[in-house]
Amino acid sequence: MANLRSKSNTPLFWILMLFLLLITLFPVYWIVVTSLKTPLEVVLPHPTFFPKTFTFQNYQAVLQSGFLGNMRTSLIVSISSTLISLVLSFCAAYALSRFQFPWMFNTLFLVWILLVKILPPVVLAIPLYTMFNSLGLINKIHGLVLVYQVYTLPYCIWMLFGFLKALPLMYEEAAQMDGAGKMATFAYIVLPMMRTGLVATSIFSVITAWDEFLFGLLFIRTPSLRTLPLVIADYIGEYETLWGNLMSIGMITALPILLFSHFVYSYYTKGFAMGDK
Amino acid sequence: MHFRRNSFYYFLIAPSLLLMLWLTVYPVLNVLMLSFFDYNYIADVRLFIGFDNFKQIVSSKLFQDSFFNTLIFSLVATLFEVGLGLLLALVFDGEFFKKKQFMTLMIFPMMLSTMVVSAIFKTLYHQDIGLFNYLLTQLGLQPVGWLINPSCALSSIILVDIWQWTPFAFILLQASLQSIPQEIFEAARIDGTRYPQIVMRITIPILFGQIMLVAMLRTIDTFKLFGKVYALTQGGPGNATETLSTFIYREGFLISILGVLQRLLC
Repeated sequence: MANLRSKSNTPLFWILMLFLLLITLFPVYWIVVTSLKTPLEVVLPHPTFFPKTFTFQNYQAVLQSGFLGNMRTSLIVSISSTLISLVLSFCAAYALSRFQFPWMFNTLFLVWILLVKILPPVVLAIPLYTMFNSLGLINKIHGLVLVYQVYTLPYCIWMLFGFLKALPLMYEEAAQMDGAGKMATFAYIVLPMMRTGLVATSIFSVITAWDEFLFGLLFIRTPSLRTLPLVIADYIGEYETLWGNLMSIGMITALPILLFSHFVYSYYTKGFAMGDK
Repeated sequence: MHFRRNSFYYFLIAPSLLLMLWLTVYPVLNVLMLSFFDYNYIADVRLFIGFDNFKQIVSSKLFQDSFFNTLIFSLVATLFEVGLGLLLALVFDGEFFKKKQFMTLMIFPMMLSTMVVSAIFKTLYHQDIGLFNYLLTQLGLQPVGWLINPSCALSSIILVDIWQWTPFAFILLQASLQSIPQEIFEAARIDGTRYPQIVMRITIPILFGQIMLVAMLRTIDTFKLFGKVYALTQGGPGNATETLSTFIYREGFLISILGVLQRLLC
């Protein structure tokens, strides 16, 4: 506010800012630096703030450990679960926002999927495991994609529902008056106007699936099919001192999202402003 | 007639509805039903026992510990995240040099996946070669058993969550702060109101709804705590960091998997 705004050019403000950035970014700096240290330097009792010798050997070791297969699983799973969710949720959200189903179905459905979002996923995990087990979907990539719909579908429906509610109806009315059918209005009028909403929604859906841990832990048994968070958890648990490798996997996992941070940030504020309505 | 005319909308909602019925409604009903039965996984026999399961669970020490740990974690983490987020939003209020870039940097922690964050802190918290203990000894203080001392393991995990999720509270509150009309603050300033009073009497009351919303979102999310505990402490030392989710994972899942395995083998 006014008081602070006038302060914003004083040295004190910038010292505070530097301090905040230090706390926020130090762990990120630490992961970068540690991933570039030699395995010996990592386990020194006196941690070094800067690598004595730069090395990419951690990255090399990680790439040779079959890690690319895990990366591929992660990519396939997060992209395909997002695509499925996006198509299904866009249709569902459109129907929910434009049509009143009988017996208060709209409210019931939206409240139910909100409850699913609130529910700890571990509660659903046991019956889902039994179900998937009897269908032979355990330890399969498509099984994982399917079960991720539990997270991504409710999320996408709510978010797109918010965007669709905010879209003025007059374009659709005009199209209908010009004789366009429901299908044509949906495909040629609504879909192009929802581009921002769809991009914002898909970003968060991809991040959710990329970061998911619990279902991956339960539904995947073969090491080569594991997603990146599972590989990281393995490293944390089993190879206590291979920190260099651990940090390079962390870096590779975090990099795609950090590179788009600016993009994510602008969509985040936008998405939330819309999704909450 | 109604259906034929609007069949398009039914057609649109059908896939999502069916998928959600199958993936969420059925499992929830299944869990609810099973909770009233004594289910022997090995023999696959069910026996109706009413509320006995609930009584048994509620009286078990491990459940009580998990429940209180989750409650403490959720309350403390939410309180700090919302409080610090609000302070940050106030610091970032107004315009200054490269504000947008700074804000993007400030939200890095929440964009890292939980496992990456856990990995970083696992190295920082290490008893012998971790950075935190090194800094403490350099300052002439006693090293702390961050994750291995039962009395501070939960706090250490809370600290990780605060580091990761304060940015979430921060950007949401910052966005709502920006949307407050500036005239209100100018009027207050002209009337000679001091800055702390402006914050306490104007900013916080206006933002109250948003603050509550963010607090609610964080409470819901912190209540599900699983990944950090799994990666950092596995619920230990003792039961010091056992949470409801890890409790369910351990009790329900591992045991039922064992049951299924045993049935397959027999």
